[in-house]
Amino acid sequence: MDLIKIYIQEVTRRLPEKNREDIALELSSTIGDMLPDEYSDEDVNSVLEKLGSPVALAYGYRDKPMYLIGPRYFDVYVSLLKMIFPIALIVSFISIFAEYTTGYSEESLIKVMVSLLSKGILTIFEVGIQFLFWITLVFVILERTDKGNNGQPLTATFKKWKPEDLKDIPYIPKKKTISRIEIFGSLLWIGIWATLYFYAERLLGVYTGSLEGLKLVAPMFNQEILLRYWPLIIIVIGLELTFVLYKLIKGQWTKRVAIFNTVQELVGAVAFIIIIVTPNLLTLEFIDYMTELFSITSTQFMSLIIGGGIFILLISSAMSIFDGFRKAKIG
Amino acid sequence: MSQLLNSLTTELRRGTLTLAVLSQLRTPQYGYSLVQLLEGSGIIIDQSTLYPLLRRLEKQELVTSSWDTSESRPRKYYVLSAYGAEIFLKLKEEWMKNAKELYSLLEGGEKDGFN
Repeated sequence: MDLIKIYIQEVTRRLPEKNREDIALELSSTIGDMLPDEYSDEDVNSVLEKLGSPVALAYGYRDKPMYLIGPRYFDVYVSLLKMIFPIALIVSFISIFAEYTTGYSEESLIKVMVSLLSKGILTIFEVGIQFLFWITLVFVILERTDKGNNGQPLTATFKKWKPEDLKDIPYIPKKKTISRIEIFGSLLWIGIWATLYFYAERLLGVYTGSLEGLKLVAPMFNQEILLRYWPLIIIVIGLELTFVLYKLIKGQWTKRVAIFNTVQELVGAVAFIIIIVTPNLLTLEFIDYMTELFSITSTQFMSLIIGGGIFILLISSAMSIFDGFRKAKIG
Repeated sequence: MSQLLNSLTTELRRGTLTLAVLSQLRTPQYGYSLVQLLEGSGIIIDQSTLYPLLRRLEKQELVTSSWDTSESRPRKYYVLSAYGAEIFLKLKEEWMKNAKELYSLLEGGEKDGFN
């Protein structure tokens, strides 16, 4: 009798509370049916063997999935992971570099190398785990909350697949497609400039090289003034990320993609101009260093930076906008 | 080789189990009586598959269940609901049609010299 009790307990403890009692009762009734009136321990053993592993039996009773991410989301999940991981790595490399420019000055090169290497491995590990965790968490929640769609696998557009979908996929002229590499490049670019922005004080400026390695002698920006614009930067990052996702889903340049691109470029340009014309944005050390280097006055230097910066930005934005509409027109 | 064959056979049989079980539930049956009925017709069903299957059918409202406590051992009886009977007939028709089609397909193959 004891073995039977334990078997039933092994099944039911893996089940939701509300079904336990009923299933336990049914199981014990079934086992009783299977045993002869007078039974030995061997009879019990053979009956339990017929019923099989309690874990397998309990699994049969459960209707919740016993996996984290099913076939519906797996595809989207993996392609997103593949894209984001290298970017996470690059972002962590830049932040390690930021650490390096400020943290060490007196120590020997070997010491610095060893400590950088160990810190680097640790940071990459940490960043990797964080990315993996958050992305996985989002998909696990999606898997368990999305009851719609009749359990059909998701397409890249998050809708049920229709033959009409095919019309959007093949025969996109090569010059019109938005490649994965382009998407990756955009994500990478956002990652880099955002990291540079938040670590500007430690990364951007004049470096001097010596035996002890590179040293940042004159940071370019007043971090305090630069960081005042963080809400604006967050908006720009959000807009750019949305645009990348939109490009990923569309897969080709259309008029709408080109219009979105224009909006995104213009907002970025306005943000850049607002920030660059801020007084005291550049540090005095940096301005002094540059004016000495090129033997010009600080006013000349400032107008060169502001004028040149805006000029380059407008040219590149205009090219990107024009290019978008040109690709949209193809085909 | 034989392991692959085993898994293919299991896969082939999996879908038919529901039909087999439904066919025997026109009269009320409890778990073990159902096992014996099926085995009597030569259908071997894994018991760890059968009991969860019965519950799933009940959840899908194809069968209803009731406890009979009049005898010394309480038993849970399952029987087809009206909806279940309707579904069963349609499923049976579908099976017959499929079986015929597959049969003629396989027969045709044999005539061409494939075995």
